[in-house]
Amino acid sequence: MNDDAQWIILMGFIVSFSLFFLATVIDQSTLVGQTTAENVQDFGKNDIRDTRAVIIDAVYQDPTDFNNQNIQTDIENISLYRKGAIVNYSSSSYDGYTIIVMHYNNGVTVYNETWTSP
Amino acid sequence: MVDDRGQLYTIEGFAAAIIMVFTIFLVLSSTTVYTPGDSHISNLQLEQLGHDVLWTMNLPPASASAQSLLQQYIGENNAVSFNTTFMNGINNKTGFATDTLQYSASVTCRDGSNIIQTPFAYSRNMTGREHAVRVTQWVLVQQTCPLSPGGPIPGNPHAMLVEVLLWRE
Repeated sequence: MNDDAQWIILMGFIVSFSLFFLATVIDQSTLVGQTTAENVQDFGKNDIRDTRAVIIDAVYQDPTDFNNQNIQTDIENISLYRKGAIVNYSSSSYDGYTIIVMHYNNGVTVYNETWTSP
Repeated sequence: MVDDRGQLYTIEGFAAAIIMVFTIFLVLSSTTVYTPGDSHISNLQLEQLGHDVLWTMNLPPASASAQSLLQQYIGENNAVSFNTTFMNGINNKTGFATDTLQYSASVTCRDGSNIIQTPFAYSRNMTGREHAVRVTQWVLVQQTCPLSPGGPIPGNPHAMLVEVLLWRE
């Protein structure tokens, strides 16, 4: 009896299992790219940068109005209504330094910063 | 005694494996459901591009400039210049070909306890079928709320939010 064909079938199975293993690795890469992109979108990096930039800008462009609740109310209310983020900040002056305490929370990411500058 | 029968088995094994994998591929591909999971990646790129353009427009063009282009446009309520600058920013590419991105921008401001959102500039009317992403940019301007034409209006410092819906046509 000739049993060559059995060996060929067995080798075929072994090789195809290894090919399937490699295909699974490639298949997972799509998932990794998607979840990474989703996470980057959920993390409000640009929102946080933008918010802290406008707060610091407000000190320079309008120092007298800074704690006059005008721009501050703008930023806090519009953030809440249009971006769903709670933004809070206050400033003080100490020994010639301006100190701003900022707080940002959009439900997913919380960001706190104490900013100091002469 | 060493012989080379194993080599032949391996080669035939590869041939058999390719036939099997190809058959299974044909069977599976006839039933696979396509899910557009990759759209997140292109959305992310679109969002970053829009944010970068708005960010650039919100920087003063020279160290002597008192205000940025964005402050100037919102301050003058100048939608035409905003349209030109923003369309150049999102659509210019290396070479002569331009991209086909479209946008619709609005400005949100606060009048007392009211939050007012007004359309500002757009390159296409929105039909509701667009797959758009939203980018935002804060801007500090001397303007009333809602916006009035004719240049910066002194004594009205406000923080306003520029919101842009961006999509690929």
